[in-house]
Amino acid sequence: MEILVIIPAKDEQEKIVEVVREIIQVGWPVLVVDDGSIDDTASRAKAAGAAVVRHPLNRGQGAALKTGIDYALANDFDQVVFFDADGQMMATEIAKVVLPLAEGYEVVLGSRFLGQAKAIPWLKLLTLKMALGFTRLNTGLKLSDTHNGFQAWQVSVLKKIKLTQDRQAYASQLLQEISRHKLKYKEVPVTIVYTDYSKRKGQSVFNAFNILWDLIIKR
Amino acid sequence: MLIQLILVAALLLFIGRLVAQFRNQKISGWEFIGWSGLWLGAIVVILFPDITSFLAIKVGVTRGVDLVIYVSIILVFYLLLKLLLRIEKIEKDITKLCRQAALKDEIKDN
Repeated sequence: MEILVIIPAKDEQEKIVEVVREIIQVGWPVLVVDDGSIDDTASRAKAAGAAVVRHPLNRGQGAALKTGIDYALANDFDQVVFFDADGQMMATEIAKVVLPLAEGYEVVLGSRFLGQAKAIPWLKLLTLKMALGFTRLNTGLKLSDTHNGFQAWQVSVLKKIKLTQDRQAYASQLLQEISRHKLKYKEVPVTIVYTDYSKRKGQSVFNAFNILWDLIIKR
Repeated sequence: MLIQLILVAALLLFIGRLVAQFRNQKISGWEFIGWSGLWLGAIVVILFPDITSFLAIKVGVTRGVDLVIYVSIILVFYLLLKLLLRIEKIEKDITKLCRQAALKDEIKDN
């Protein structure tokens, strides 16, 4: 049961070393997909012990994850974990997120509302709640959190799903695919820490409009 | 009228550019025919606006100019949609190339 932790990263040189080291310390191999960074992300990730592949141009988080998935397929990994580069997620919780895969689940979705999200800004909370309503309408999935990047997947399942959204809309597309293929999924509580760094690096809530546009225009 | 002269001159300029592009093989024969047909049609309509009034009444619009505007807007939106789809396809292709490049050249030890 080979598990690969995939981290898409764009200009994350400040945090990437710490994030990679923490994951390797708890025993998981890491792939950093450098999504056209203009800083030192790739070489620092490599030095920290991760495998690194690099998009020559910035293509977006969805595109980077897909590249990571293709890497996992080519290198015979059985399961993958999606993890963030900005230090919002905790490496020690990976074990908890992959556990349901061993129990026969095909997808595991992290949830910050089952868990204790630390210090979510209120505007972010509002946007997330609206996204939750949208997801319910759109996919019929009754989730406690949506668009949480902390996920674990059976690679065999990823082979048959469609992941064509290059940017943030990929998150909704993955949920649509879970619904369409009736995948066996489970939510587990995870801790998401909103630090000043992650708030600065993360997406603005206004990006929600861009995501909706992508979802409607580009099926 | 002056406006007719200005518009016809502008369109003749467009057609001149088309001919040059076609000669330099920047556009295909079909594109050349399509675009020059459109501009020639426009010139005819500018010189003989009554044609549009005739057509307008046939299809139930009162003024010829209105008909021209309606048709133009539809055309513009159609072209816009085609452009959007085209850009989308190019974006996807770029992503594919980036992915291939990334997976082919996995970064080895420094």
